[in-house]
Order: sequence, then C-alpha cells, then structure tokens
Amino acid sequence: MSTLLQELNEAVAEVAERGRRSLVEVRSRGRGVGTGAVWHADGLIVTNAHVVSRGDPRVGLPDGRVLPAKVLAWDPRLDLAALTVEATGLTAMPLGASRSLRPGQWVLALGHPWGVAGAATAGVVIGTGKEWPDAPYGGREWVAVNLPLRPGNSGGPLLDAEGRLVGITTIMAGPRLGLAVPVHLAKAFLRRTLLSPPAATQPKTAIL
Amino acid sequence: MTEILSQYSNALAEIVEAAGQTVVRVEGRRRLPASGIVWADGIVVTSHHALERDEDLRVGLPDGHAVTATLVGRDPTTDVAVLRAETPEFITTSLLAGLASLDSLRVGHLVLALGRPGQAVQATLGIVKALGDAWHAPAGGRLDRYLETDIAMYPGFSGGPLVDVEGRLLGLNTSALLRGATITVPPATLRQRVEQLLAHGRIRQGYLGVGVQPARLPAALEQRLGQDAGLLVSSVEPGSPAERGGLVLGDTLLTVEGQPVRHLDDLMAFLGIERIGHPLSLRVLRGGQAQEIRIIVGERS
Repeated sequence: MSTLLQELNEAVAEVAERGRRSLVEVRSRGRGVGTGAVWHADGLIVTNAHVVSRGDPRVGLPDGRVLPAKVLAWDPRLDLAALTVEATGLTAMPLGASRSLRPGQWVLALGHPWGVAGAATAGVVIGTGKEWPDAPYGGREWVAVNLPLRPGNSGGPLLDAEGRLVGITTIMAGPRLGLAVPVHLAKAFLRRTLLSPPAATQPKTAIL
Repeated sequence: MTEILSQYSNALAEIVEAAGQTVVRVEGRRRLPASGIVWADGIVVTSHHALERDEDLRVGLPDGHAVTATLVGRDPTTDVAVLRAETPEFITTSLLAGLASLDSLRVGHLVLALGRPGQAVQATLGIVKALGDAWHAPAGGRLDRYLETDIAMYPGFSGGPLVDVEGRLLGLNTSALLRGATITVPPATLRQRVEQLLAHGRIRQGYLGVGVQPARLPAALEQRLGQDAGLLVSSVEPGSPAERGGLVLGDTLLTVEGQPVRHLDDLMAFLGIERIGHPLSLRVLRGGQAQEIRIIVGERS
C-alpha cells in the first residue's frame, strides 16, 4: 500500500482536528444556524452576518459551553459579523493569506452542515477575484472552492494546507461550488468596525 | 506533519499555472464566455455548444490580451469546434508538456479541469471515474476512448482541458455529450477532428444508408456461424449505397471486412473518411443462409 496516501490522510486529519479547536457553532432561538471561527482568545468570533440576523445569538464553544453572544459589528454587504462571548483562553485560528491563493490549492471547510458538529469537507481553490458572472453576488470578491457547502456551514472557516484561515464560507453557489469571503476582507472589516465607535456599527434588529 | 499536504497543494497549483498557459477564454455567446485549448500555433479547440454564433468571435489570452478569432469548423457529434486566432509564441512552447497517453490512465487517478471564463485561469480537481474503449456518443460521434471524470463542470469550463498530474493534456471537457456526466474528448479523437475541420471545414464521414439494431442469433445459427449476435437491418434508405449494394430489410449483418459486428460502434468503425468511395465487404444472414454483399461507401451530407 502507499505510505504517501497514509501520510496525506494523517495530514488532512490533523488540519481538521486543529481547526476544530477554534471552531464554534452559532445558535439562535434554540437551533444551530451556522458556524464561526475564534478570531481572538478573549472571545472574539467571526461569522456571517446572515447567520446572526435572526437575533438572540448564542455560541457553542469547543469545550461544550453554550454562551450568549453580543454582536459587535455587522456588515450585510460583506456578509460578515463580529461577535463576542464572555470567555477567555480560547484557541484563536491562525490567519492565512487569501490574496496569494492559487487555483488548484487544497482547502478544507469546517462547519456544522445540517447540524453535524465539526464536519470537514475538502476541495481545491477554483479561483479568486470578482468575476463570477454566473454566481449569486457575482460582483463581489470571493474565494471560489469546489466543495459542497450545506446549510449550517455558513460563517465557518476555510483553511489552507497549513491550517490557516483563508476564508469564511458563505454561499453555496452550486452542488459543488462554494463561495468564501477572503480573509483579507475579514481583516479589513474588523479593523474598520472595531476601531470605530460601537454605536456606528450596531446592526438593525431583525424584526421577525 | 502537514508539510506533505502543503507540497501536495502547491504541486496542484503548479500544474494549473503551467498548463493554464494553454487555456484561453472563448467569447462566442452572449452571456458567459467559455474556455478553449491552444492546440497548435494559431489553432484553438473549444466546445461546439459553447459557440452560439459563427462570427464576432474573440479569444482571451493568458496575458490579458484579447484577439479576434475565426471559426474553422464544428463537429456537433463530438462537441468540438476549431478556431483560428493569433496565439503568441510563448503559448506554443508550453504545449511541449504534450498530450497524455490514455494507456497508463486508471480509474481513481487524479485529474484537473481548467477553465478561463474570465481573465484568470480557474481549476477544479477530480478523479477518473470511468474508462472504456471506443465510445459512440448519443450525438453521433465516436470517441476513441471513453473517459469520464467526477469533475463538476463550472460555468465557463466547457471547452477547457483535462490534465493529468504531469500537466499533460487528457482531452477537452464537455458536459454536453452525455447528460449528467463530464466526458473528456481524448487527444486522438481531437487530433482527428481538428485535422478534418482544418482540411474540409466539416467532418466528412462514410455513409451506408441503413438503420440497424443489435440482435441475438438463434442458438442453432450461433453454432453454425460461430457468432452469437449481429446487426439486424431495420431500414434501408432508398437510393442509398446500402440499397445499391443489395441490402434489404430483415438482413442481419454478421461481419464487415471479416470483423464481427454486434454493436453500432462496430459498424461505425468502418465509416471513417478514409472509406468514402471504397467498397466494404459484408457477410449477411438472409433467410437462414449467410451470403456476401459488397457496398461502396458513400458520404454523409
């Protein structure tokens, strides 16, 4: 048999395992609605804006605790949200570089598709940029990946071969076409919103 | 530990970058461009179905330039079209990666599909799903090998190449030849189609004027003839080469040029361009007796 394949298998499993230590579930009104990534050990979580639009978000941590979350910043255009929970000592996800991503590069998405905790799916980068004429929100900048995203994956991390965060998986654009917000846009979002007065960035409460 | 994963990841990206030099954007329909492969200096192959018009065609090069292209010809039966466009020198040298031989390809092998629906090259990864011998597409064309992958064809990927882990061309990807499947037209078939289209502007094919269907032979005849099945003639076109050769309804074709024919594919193999105007000897079963028939192959118009 092949030790190469065995090594590859172990390497993939390790990226998934390490990634899960920084993976959270976003819940709303008693149900899991998406995924998030720990951005900072002191409780800063990044996820999709559409995941927290229902209100009353709670976050399920890797250690099992489920804590109420406060939305610090919200950008529906980018579809990103920053949450905070009262927890410290969390494992932050190492950040990667999305601008240098190349088509063909291996990536792994972690999330809670259909409620399955910490599920992983692997694929490759199809391409990056703003030209997606046939995709929803095609004029926005995305990392397109050839893996099947499902409801519950939203807001979850897209990792590279070194286990670093390169995107936030956001849209299922086809049965095997996922779109992720590049991490460089997430970094810019946080810089922009968290360094300005909180009042300017409160989201409108969703009226249900 | 994850070194090997990074190596794997980078290796894939390297293949895409290198092979991507031969992938162009083909603008031949209103909404969404398709992809094309630089086959030779100034020659681009693409998908017939992705060209919705015959004029006003443009090809987008890897370096960002776009050039006008002219249609050389189409073959709907294999979903192949050939364009002439001014391709720069550097692309042609990239072609040295060459054509893959499908002989060493196996089910399960990793493959990459490339496309260039916009400016930058795009890629997706899959495996060889199924491999077979010569295959007769529902559209009518004959591919020298059956190559199906589990690749998801994304918008604009039609007409793009399938490459192996060495970056060699395995063929042209299309989702239009078989519903729900990604089929790759192999290099040998591509070469044959390109040559014909360049020479004649269309695919010339032999024609007999006969409708056939596979039929099992009765056990007694099977014993006597040493063959278990043949092709039952269900229609003969009036005025056709088949009619002139004396073929009638109810005949069962047993062999062509000494080769047993049991499937349409077997007969199609004798209708290539090189057979046009030449005699074909057939052994047919008629009224329980085998007899020899000679048909001069005509040309499909």
